[in-house]
Amino acid sequence: MKKAGFITKILHTKFSKEDPHGSLHAPLYENVAFEFKNAEELELAFQGKKPSHMYSRISNPTVEHFERRIQAVTGAAGVVALASGMAAISNAILTVTRTGDNIITSKHLFGNTYSLFEQTLKGWGLETRYGDLTKPEGLRELIDGKTRAIFLETITNPQLEVADLKALSRIARETGILLIVDTTMTPPYLFSAKDFGVDIEVLSSTKWISGGATSVGGLIIDHGLFDWKKNEKLSGDAVKSGPFAFISRLRREVYRNMGACLSPHNAFLQSLGLETLPLRLDTACANTHKVAEFLKRASGVKSVNYPGLKDSPFYETARTQFGGKPGAVLTLDLGSKEQCFKFMNHLKLVRRATNLHDNRTLILHPASTIFCEYSPALKEDMGVRETLIRLAVGIEDSQDLIADIEQGLETLR
Amino acid sequence: MNIKVNGKTETIKEKSLAIAGLLKFSKVENPEMVSVQRNGAFVNKENFDTTYLEDGDEIDFIYFMGGGAHQRTVMKGEGL
Repeated sequence: MKKAGFITKILHTKFSKEDPHGSLHAPLYENVAFEFKNAEELELAFQGKKPSHMYSRISNPTVEHFERRIQAVTGAAGVVALASGMAAISNAILTVTRTGDNIITSKHLFGNTYSLFEQTLKGWGLETRYGDLTKPEGLRELIDGKTRAIFLETITNPQLEVADLKALSRIARETGILLIVDTTMTPPYLFSAKDFGVDIEVLSSTKWISGGATSVGGLIIDHGLFDWKKNEKLSGDAVKSGPFAFISRLRREVYRNMGACLSPHNAFLQSLGLETLPLRLDTACANTHKVAEFLKRASGVKSVNYPGLKDSPFYETARTQFGGKPGAVLTLDLGSKEQCFKFMNHLKLVRRATNLHDNRTLILHPASTIFCEYSPALKEDMGVRETLIRLAVGIEDSQDLIADIEQGLETLR
Repeated sequence: MNIKVNGKTETIKEKSLAIAGLLKFSKVENPEMVSVQRNGAFVNKENFDTTYLEDGDEIDFIYFMGGGAHQRTVMKGEGL
């Protein structure tokens, strides 16, 4: 039989232990502690020498099953599920860097990620260097002996830029640093990170994977491509754990000590969401194309940005990397902030909320919300204009969405 | 030969025994999930059949619970 497809793999991932009742869904283990027959077994478990769960902050059967499903569809060396996408980013960075190190990224980042780098981690001695990731060769001059990683989003939020990941991977490989990529906008199924040389994939599973914003969660996926002897912090771990040096340090130190574990309840919901991920992604991407095409023709709209539009400067790169489905977020510019607010306030179907990839279509004015803590000059530098609106398109019937947007735009005339 | 497995001394009667054989001898639970260290160094899974034990070796079988289980997840009904 041919290699199984995405949904088949998700639905038929083996349980780590056979369920005594033959349940088709991996049961929800909503407990904290696990009992052992004797003290010797408990000691072995603590040493990692017995395959047992001990305490749900460290591991849990329901969370494990969710991780194994992600592993099945990505072919990863290891997967760790966490409490949120931000927990995934912070845990991944803290595992591979130490004080005095630096990472390279772009200022075109999700606002909270920028804040993590510039406020939280900077205070602990991690330097973040900013470059233009859409011009990969220019990054070489930022890389030095203390550079540990290039970090980026597959599609930046809300600028919707798409960098050439194979080119970035080549630079990372040549300089012995990691390529860490946030794939929240293009999760597995839309984007096969391993095929593009991504070493570590991080994402917010709150969005698509949870089934449409049912619960908060995050994932770290180690694609097993990096030679850990080249990372100064993990070179010793590479001797003991080989290709699993990162996962080992993460599980046994950073993830365990930071405590940002995914709750079993959320893991159960996200595992359910995963079963229908491709169906929802296909619909949302198709809807986004239709809405983008409508907005291009609509009067009062100054510009529309979506990497799936042929006039996007990132169209070709997005087509190559995401197989013609470049996520379900678009942005549009109106004449002023006031017009943006008026338009948003007159929408009846589209919801005013801060999230992406709910099953419902959500609208947001990034400059006054996610980026509100930044100065006008920095916002301009980040490509976050006062006239910019972000639309995260859902899976409603596209004609209903377009009708709602059309009546909202009519109020501006 | 005498070796230490997970800190416990074991006497091996066979003249030669590879890691793969030791996994069976030690009745290791979930062998597909185990990571092996020989004298503190990682042993690649593809070398389990060809890495032979020597007297005085210290072998540790280590598990990482969760998706970082060292082997690609096996699907129900292999070959699907």
